[in-house]
Amino acid sequence: MSEPAVTVKRPASLKKTILRLLLYFVVLDVCVITLYPYFAMLCTALKGRGEIFATQGTILPITALWSNFVDIWSLAPMAKYMLNSFLIAGGSTLIAMLCGIPAAYALARMKFKGQTAFLAFVIVSQMFAPVVLLIGIYQVMLALHLTDSIWGLIFINAAFNQAFTVWLLRGTFMGISAEMEQAATIDGCTRVQSMMRVLLPVAAPGIVTTLIFIFINAWNEYTVALCLIKTDTLKPLTVGINIFNGYNIIEWQYLFAASIFAIIPVVILFMCIEKNLVSGLASGGVKG
Amino acid sequence: MATLNLRNITKIYPHSGGEKKAKKKKSDSGEKKVNLQITDQGVVAVQKFDLDIADKEFIVLVGPSGCGKSTTLRMVAGLEEISGGELLIDGKLMNDVEPKNRDIAMVFQSYALYPHMTVFENMAFPLRLRKVPANEIERRVKEAAEILDITQYLDRKPKALSGGQRQRVAIGRAIVREPKVLLMDEPLSNLDAKLRNQMRAEIIKLRQKIDTTFIYVTHDQTEAMTLGDRIVIMKDGFIQQIGTPQEVFDHPANIFVAGFIGMPQMNFFDAKLLSEGGKYFVTVGGCKVELSAEKQKNLAAHKISAQDITLGVRPSHMVLAKQAGNTLSATVEVSEMMGSEVHFHANAEGRDVVVIVPTMNPDGSHIDTFTTGDKLELTFSGNVCHVFGKDGRNLEY
Ligand SMILES: Nc1ncnc2c1ncn2[C@@H]1O[C@H](COP(=O)(O)OP(=O)(O)OP(=O)(O)O)[C@@H](O)[C@H]1O
Ligand SMILES: [Mg+2]
Repeated sequence: MSEPAVTVKRPASLKKTILRLLLYFVVLDVCVITLYPYFAMLCTALKGRGEIFATQGTILPITALWSNFVDIWSLAPMAKYMLNSFLIAGGSTLIAMLCGIPAAYALARMKFKGQTAFLAFVIVSQMFAPVVLLIGIYQVMLALHLTDSIWGLIFINAAFNQAFTVWLLRGTFMGISAEMEQAATIDGCTRVQSMMRVLLPVAAPGIVTTLIFIFINAWNEYTVALCLIKTDTLKPLTVGINIFNGYNIIEWQYLFAASIFAIIPVVILFMCIEKNLVSGLASGGVKG
Repeated sequence: MATLNLRNITKIYPHSGGEKKAKKKKSDSGEKKVNLQITDQGVVAVQKFDLDIADKEFIVLVGPSGCGKSTTLRMVAGLEEISGGELLIDGKLMNDVEPKNRDIAMVFQSYALYPHMTVFENMAFPLRLRKVPANEIERRVKEAAEILDITQYLDRKPKALSGGQRQRVAIGRAIVREPKVLLMDEPLSNLDAKLRNQMRAEIIKLRQKIDTTFIYVTHDQTEAMTLGDRIVIMKDGFIQQIGTPQEVFDHPANIFVAGFIGMPQMNFFDAKLLSEGGKYFVTVGGCKVELSAEKQKNLAAHKISAQDITLGVRPSHMVLAKQAGNTLSATVEVSEMMGSEVHFHANAEGRDVVVIVPTMNPDGSHIDTFTTGDKLELTFSGNVCHVFGKDGRNLEY
């Protein structure tokens, strides 16, 4: 990083230039394709109902109705939905991490019989789409009296993300030399202390990344929430905003305005992950 | 500050994945030649390790890669379970004591510093865990930093240090605690040659400043010879010899030790041991040499009879004879001028021989030079040759 930048100017060959242009073109295409829906969403969110259903519609709103973004908060219990989403995503992230960190630690640092089989089982459990499990989940929740409850969703989302958490954290831990923890045990730590005071701080970038992934997954969960929650004030955003999807008419502008609020936390978190992945916090403890 | 007793220590790494690992080892061990015993229970990495270490002694474990040095050290540290035998520190059985309660410190080959802590925090960490008062921590860390000359880096993270500096921090973290035993696993092997020489000298100095028992692992014989009070030479999980640097150099217990210690390597010849008129002689090529009185006595004490032997003579103990007759003839293949001496790589009796000859006689006259293809007539005296039986053991002991 710190060495002086020496730029050597080379005559760029034609082939390189063409390849570069091609690359830019492809990247641009991908950007347009992925970002267009968001653009359309924003445009629609700014339109009035008349404009949306106009036969000669335009993509860009003719008059931008910023008031849509304000109106939704009074037309629906948006704040409540948002709070529910935060509780569900936050709670399930917490539980998934609390269970996932010790599990991943054991899988990364200890040897026991059936380890490979266990890891395979964890992966296989991920192969079922939530929809397939829906009936079973509903019955279990019924038995636990957790239908129509935020707690139920917290547990389910934690469970859905557990396998992913364990695998990701196991990879992170295995990438960190065990000698640091061994040094810590010699320096006077118990096994748990060496994990808390050495491994986890060193693994922080990986842990934060995992944490954010779980949070986003839980934040975006729709199917199970739709089936389990009946009371309007217990719904998370994903389900709640369907309130604008009425019997007679779909209030597209409100639906999309609400959706934009829903994606803001996700976008912010993704930006955090990126920053985390770039900074190599773990380097320097061991040689090389 | 502590005595250590290792009694018949054994380490068996249980098979995991089993065959796969064993196969892999075979394929990539071409030059390493690790011949560990593999039993039903697993790989036997260390066997019958017996060693009594005195207080404040500096013990060096040395041997080729994979011979079980690190394993032994890690068993002393408590990082590896002891499969058999007893480990005593200050007379107390330590086999099942947690590492943190053994009052030892260890310097890892990879340094194993805590990357999220500053140098100061790294060194303070063991003291904080022992609830040492803050001002005492400050004092001890500063003192250790002073000894190791890293005071100006105390606020840095390990990431911002060079290899040599990190190594010093690792040593600092080990000595602040004033442990009973200080374990070091190849602490210098990640450093370049110059820094290694410098740090070696630092370790010798460090030893004079702190009173503790050292166990030091290396595969570098120079480190072993210069640092150790006693050297433990290991191969394939077995101790080959324990002794002072001078002892293992002068009286190697077997061919392996003879070849491992000393640079350039000892020359070996297929020779004969003769017993004539109550005297022992060795013959190799046209050269017949009577053994020294001490060797006569040792061999007689073991009632050694005349037999085929492997004869070992160090390169610096080979002497150029004035004329042929009762000499070993050799043909020069390469001659390396080293300044004050010349190394001749020659061939004698079908074996490669290295002969070290000073370039100048004590009176200042230059000795004759030889080039490729020239004949050398070599002799050696009866007190510098080593007699190894067919099983590789030194017949004198
Ligand atoms: N966890 C393990 N499982 C099985 N075998 C092991 C394990 N650790 C080490 N071994 C084997 O035990 C032997 C001794 O290993 P050890 O690390 O003690 O060697 P070493 O003398 O320190 O070598 P080096 O100089 O390369 O560090 C090696 O042959 C190695 O293959
Ligand atoms: Mg080793």
